[in-house]
Amino acid sequence: MPRPEVKLVTFSLDGREVTAPENAMLVDGAKYGDMNIPVFCYEPKLGAPVGACRMCLVEIEGIPKLQTACSTPVKDGMVVHTQTDRVHEAQRAIVEFLLINHPLDCPVCDKGGECPLQDITYGWGPGTTRFIEPKRHFRKPLELSPLIAIDRERCIMCYRCVRFSQEIAEDYQLVIQERGANSYISTFDGRPYVAPFSGNITELCPVGALTSSTYRFRARPWDIEGSGSVCTLCPAQCNVELTVRDDRVMRVLARDHDGVDDGWLCDKGRYAFQYTHVDERITQPLVRGSGGLQPSSWEQALHAAAGALELAAGKIAAVAGGETTNEEAFLAQRLLRDQLGSNHLCASPAAELPARLARALAAPRLQATVADLEFADTILILDCDPVDEATIWDLRIRKGVRRNHVKLAIASARPTALDPNAAVTLRHAPGQLEGLLVSLDAALTGDEGNLSGASTAAGTKAAEVRALASLLSGGGGEVVIVASERSLTPAAAAALLNMASRLGLSGRDGAGLLLAPTSGNGRGLREAGFASGMGPGYAPVDQAGLGGMVVAELAATVSVLYLLHADVLRTHPDRDAWAEALRTVPTVIAHESVMTDTVREYADVVFPAEAYPEKEGTVVHPDGRLQRLRPAIGRPGAVRAGWWVIAELSARAGASDERFAAASEVSDALFAAVPHFRGLTLDAIGGRGLRWQETDAAAAFDPPAWEPVRLSVPDAAPGGLRLGTFRTLWASKEVDMSPILRFARPAPLIELSAVDAARLGIAHGEEVEVACPVRPGEAGHGPARPGNGDGHRLRGPAVVRAAVPPGSVFVPEGIRAAPANLLTGTVVEVRGLHTRVEVPSVLGVTAAQGIEGRSQQPTESDAVGGIGGDAPLAPQEGSGDQTADAPSASDEDSDPDTATGGAA
Amino acid sequence: MELLFKDIDAPGLNTLRVYEQRGGYEMSRRALDMHPATALEELQASGVRGRGGAGFAMGKKASFLPQGDMDKYLVCNADESEPGTFKDRELMQKNPHLLIEGVLISAHAVGANKAFIYIRGEYDYVADILEAALAEAKAAGHVGALDLWCHRGAGAYICGEETALLDSLEGKRGNPRLKPPFPAVQGLYQGPTLINNVETLMNAPIILRMGGAEYAKIGTETSTGTKVVSVSGCVQRPGNYEVVLGTPTREIIFDLAGGPPEGRSIKCFFPGGSSSPVLPGTDENLDLPYDFDALQKAGTMLGSGAIIVVDDSVPILDVCMKTAKFYRHESCGKCTPCREGTNWTVKMLERIERGEATPMDLDIMSSICDNIIGNCLCVLGDAMAMPVSSMIKHFRKEFEAHMEHMQLTSTEMSRGPHAGPYDVLEPIGVATAALG
Repeated sequence: MPRPEVKLVTFSLDGREVTAPENAMLVDGAKYGDMNIPVFCYEPKLGAPVGACRMCLVEIEGIPKLQTACSTPVKDGMVVHTQTDRVHEAQRAIVEFLLINHPLDCPVCDKGGECPLQDITYGWGPGTTRFIEPKRHFRKPLELSPLIAIDRERCIMCYRCVRFSQEIAEDYQLVIQERGANSYISTFDGRPYVAPFSGNITELCPVGALTSSTYRFRARPWDIEGSGSVCTLCPAQCNVELTVRDDRVMRVLARDHDGVDDGWLCDKGRYAFQYTHVDERITQPLVRGSGGLQPSSWEQALHAAAGALELAAGKIAAVAGGETTNEEAFLAQRLLRDQLGSNHLCASPAAELPARLARALAAPRLQATVADLEFADTILILDCDPVDEATIWDLRIRKGVRRNHVKLAIASARPTALDPNAAVTLRHAPGQLEGLLVSLDAALTGDEGNLSGASTAAGTKAAEVRALASLLSGGGGEVVIVASERSLTPAAAAALLNMASRLGLSGRDGAGLLLAPTSGNGRGLREAGFASGMGPGYAPVDQAGLGGMVVAELAATVSVLYLLHADVLRTHPDRDAWAEALRTVPTVIAHESVMTDTVREYADVVFPAEAYPEKEGTVVHPDGRLQRLRPAIGRPGAVRAGWWVIAELSARAGASDERFAAASEVSDALFAAVPHFRGLTLDAIGGRGLRWQETDAAAAFDPPAWEPVRLSVPDAAPGGLRLGTFRTLWASKEVDMSPILRFARPAPLIELSAVDAARLGIAHGEEVEVACPVRPGEAGHGPARPGNGDGHRLRGPAVVRAAVPPGSVFVPEGIRAAPANLLTGTVVEVRGLHTRVEVPSVLGVTAAQGIEGRSQQPTESDAVGGIGGDAPLAPQEGSGDQTADAPSASDEDSDPDTATGGAA
Repeated sequence: MELLFKDIDAPGLNTLRVYEQRGGYEMSRRALDMHPATALEELQASGVRGRGGAGFAMGKKASFLPQGDMDKYLVCNADESEPGTFKDRELMQKNPHLLIEGVLISAHAVGANKAFIYIRGEYDYVADILEAALAEAKAAGHVGALDLWCHRGAGAYICGEETALLDSLEGKRGNPRLKPPFPAVQGLYQGPTLINNVETLMNAPIILRMGGAEYAKIGTETSTGTKVVSVSGCVQRPGNYEVVLGTPTREIIFDLAGGPPEGRSIKCFFPGGSSSPVLPGTDENLDLPYDFDALQKAGTMLGSGAIIVVDDSVPILDVCMKTAKFYRHESCGKCTPCREGTNWTVKMLERIERGEATPMDLDIMSSICDNIIGNCLCVLGDAMAMPVSSMIKHFRKEFEAHMEHMQLTSTEMSRGPHAGPYDVLEPIGVATAALG
């Protein structure tokens, strides 16, 4: 879809000629003439203007009435006056009107000092008021949600928050209640506003009406400093501004970047910063002694680790998590590969793709950008839910569909939050992305044999695949394919490349692949060479090491396991095998910022690691944008920089005589070592990042165009109930550690289709048990061993969803209380336990209507018994249900018993 | 001359049988045989102006609709909620088929394939009659291919504003939209939409029967045709009267409606519903010809054609308060001047009533009204500000006399502007407290 072309026109503004883009709204156009027209309700990010606040009234020659500058497009030759008496009078009147019911409690208001209402009153207001009547009063402040407090007296009814909820996040929760002077912002039924993106309204609010619970009364604008960085809690890598007071992060704001986040943040990014300052932070080195992990000096810890490395003599493996920067990954892979001679590097819970495929997928000509999501002809989402994988992309896709009529196609095992926006939705069996892609490829080439075979194998229908293929090939050439590396097996990757080649995506502007890595800096880790089969810059290696998937073999091979920000027990499949490996490997060295199960139980040497607000280095966005992390606060306690620790270990382990004096020197070494980063500098990356594909160095990485290969039809999905797992955006240690997000911690649940629930006699909300039976000749991923499969059962409430296809069962991953990675099989048995438990829901089933919120911050005891604690609330989960299954919600929610059928 | 009210009280006129006996649906049949452009030309030639309030030429508005084969909509605004206006109610109640026929003709003229009659929710029994008539017309095949529906509103004055009506019809909160784009270009469901008042549409069959040029001869040059005027207030025979536009106002108030009760004189009157600036009952004003332009020249407007007569027994403060309170209650709250201005005006009037005001407050009040007029998103704010400021202008002495009287007679000390319990609004709270 063509991007809008910008044509410049000239108009007269207060007697001066101003050149501005045609059809820009006058408020924006006036800025080209250095003229500030005051606004409250206008916010370009929210889409079409509403003209509600009337603050921006200006005089336009030829139009008798004053016009709102926020909704009047700039035209050639227009004559605009913003400084006439008539305009001033109207603006003064609007400020006077807005202030008559505003409490003017600026001295105790969190917004005071950074408040548009204050600024505009000062600049355009009358200075005095003629209003001596009693002001309007509301009970206040109320909790709009556990994250947001609402003060309705301060509200000036600009509609920004409501428009965000209705038109950006599309959660449709915020509304205006009542009418006229009595109107106020609320959720429709008074229940909490819980949604993945709710926190954005606190930043949109032009007054102190919506404030963040975590920031209320914590600081004043003159106490704080802003510090730009990048959030690494998920692959979307949104640009953030960390508000710092006294070396503590107080809040996280969006640092608008069209190419990354479009100016929004998710609630995890906005509120999980709290994990930086919790008691669970590891602030000094720990070494395991007879009495468990004991605090130690840096010297002791480094000595112990270096000793273990020397003894290992190359029998070492390293696992990195998504918080690891490019620099740390680069140094770590150099330590292992060049110094110790080991290629056992694992950067992802999913299987590592062969170098040939990884290179082809990373080809610059095949790379789509985040901005392409907004203007593509068609977007295809493959077996992932963007809201979970790279959260902020969800909003970008919604924007594309809503404003630019992008056609959205979704092919996934589990229903996604974007289903209601999709033109075509297709469900396949869990784990059968390969089959789906093979059939899609066959449909694009007209290979009827493969089409019917592969679509059957994928548990879907040939006709549906054909419809999807015709949407992709017939809807204009700009197709962006969004997929998660989590479900991309080598065969699926080959099929995906085939498809991309058949659709002609290579080299086409605005089209291509956008792959969400499995963790925050997944792409950067790979490009820095932290992979078993590839060196820096996807360079070939002589002999590939063991990736993460062959854990048992790994355990038998190595004597040191080096964990860089990796919580393998939580994030990696086959928890049992990992636990066994951690137990048997003699030395486990870990870099970790907070205490995790992996560290607590198994680490022998623990280096305290930085949280992302403390880090310095670079990361790579999924679309290839290098971005800089800059330290906003100092490191707590004895924490030292990650790169320094690895460099020090390198030095102590022998060979390396290279010394780094500063993080920037490591970056320089990285840029020199990776061919396609060559010539980059930190200054060039700057605050906005730089896509390496757009630099000269990109020529250094030019894999040959993919020649479609012949694909074979995969084995059919096994019969019975097939297990699929998903990872919500809330399943992370940062959410667990952040007190305010306690309510959002995902709870165990088991999603079933209505058909299966009826067949098994399971009611919505009934506690059920999932188990993997071990059948002869089948033993999951790893070699069969005692305890695999049959020893593990997972319990949780049954969630009967109409949108789940029959034959599929879904359990959430990454939940500490019920680790789904214990289950290793693909087919499960589900058994009802005939006890009713509370179903996790976005709204909280126990929420009652009409109860006033409290004016106090929730206390610890409140949180346990009240807002969060064990009461299961799973925001993402529920919101998905709300939107995805809206038409059938009554079937499953209001009258769950009907779904039971012949329940015993 | 009676056009709309011709045989209005004929028994059973609301039934298809009687309506057809009197030549009903002949014109719609004839229109459907015409080329749409021909029908539109007739409407344009008639010069008929909108009867809902704004007085915009109907044919001209219809001609703004773009050509093309997209879905086009015709919406009949039957959300008659202006205080003092009750003409559409009688017309629809007694002659619903004329409206349906008018809708059919107009829809054909502009090429609309979907039509809605948005009727005020409180007009419950009228809607029943209308729906019965619609069912009859559909059964008899008069409606043809037009997708015509009757939709009941939910009780908001603002939904009579055309864009708020469209939002309400789409199932949203009835808030006015920003204009432009105008409904003719982007209206219902973003499609081209013609919105007309009931009375305007009912004129369509009459225009077609007479011929547009012939119709234009009735009334004055710029205000053609007849108008059903709702006369209410302090008159002896309140009710709907059909008059030729240009008839002297005195004739309507005195000859038709019987004038004020014995022994009273007219203090002032609203010439066009409660949103029009009042005119004092002077001979000069009573002699104004009742048409769009003469009233506009006199500083007021014909509006929806509802004359509310106020006689000398009614304190002007009460009239002012009643008017302001109505608009405060009905303000949707979307734009600032209307939401805050109507509320402030009422609070000041209450203070005047309590005797806690000084003549300076009248200046503030008219300044507030000036700040509202022309600065709002729609005309609801103006609808309060115009009559209120006209009352202050014409009857300032009476307001001042009230203030003086209250000061002299008050036995209690004024509690002052900040006294008294504050009204605390109790919205539904957010129930996080109960989550556990």
